[in-house]
Amino acid sequence: MVIVNGQTETGIVGQTITEFLTQRGAPLENIVVERNGDIVHRADFDVTLVAENDKLELISFVGGG
Amino acid sequence: MSETQPEIQGLSYEAVYNGMKERNVRDSTAKLAGAHVTIAGAGGLGSNIAIALTRIGVGHLTLIDFDTVELSNLNRQQFKLSQLDMPKVTALKQNLQEFNPFVAIDTVQTKVTHENVQDLFAGADIICEAFDNPAAKAMLLEAATEFYPDKPLVMGTGMAGIHSSNTITTKHPRPNLYIAGDGTSKGAEGLMAPRVMICAGHEANMIARLILGETEI
Repeated sequence: MVIVNGQTETGIVGQTITEFLTQRGAPLENIVVERNGDIVHRADFDVTLVAENDKLELISFVGGG
Repeated sequence: MSETQPEIQGLSYEAVYNGMKERNVRDSTAKLAGAHVTIAGAGGLGSNIAIALTRIGVGHLTLIDFDTVELSNLNRQQFKLSQLDMPKVTALKQNLQEFNPFVAIDTVQTKVTHENVQDLFAGADIICEAFDNPAAKAMLLEAATEFYPDKPLVMGTGMAGIHSSNTITTKHPRPNLYIAGDGTSKGAEGLMAPRVMICAGHEANMIARLILGETEI
């Protein structure tokens, strides 16, 4: 079980952050991912695996300013 | 303030300085004058935020933007037709100095990247994100958290279209991070002064609150 933005999600343990975001249709470059309170560096998206009991916070941005 | 200071508009320097602060919130002026805010982006958000902070007398602003003034900016950004093609940071500084000559303004005409964040924001008490590009917003959150986790970061996302004013709020997802906007409306819908200024107002007011010791939204 993984908590994503406060909601329980299943079936994502073992995915890389890139796989997880891509599956959600999220534009990778516009998102900051916090895993258990720490920001996952963009360069590590391909090598960081979602683990059981992880707490993920996705902070996404839209264009305009 | 000594008597050797030059007159401004035929009035003494001191009279102008004191007169301009008369309607500021009580006991705010010294704290505002002592603050240094670095604003990343001098477009719709950045130009409006900078004007608000200049008017209340934030003592030191650093403006960062790589771009120049274009016609399409003028429906929301605080530039003049006479400033077309000027670097935005230069044009904005010019305008700000007319509003309040007592603010120290540094300008940096460059693109903010992960590599230069550490240098660009070293002197800032508060970091203000005012980019247009969502990837740049994400990059700055990541880099500012890496290099300056103890500095408040005030950001904006979602101020496009003609949606209700009341969908724009300030959120405080974790310590030192404040995000204004509706979170969803995209720039491709069109961006216009009224709604962009609401978001800029949220950011500027949060920055003023932080300077005056209020950390809640």
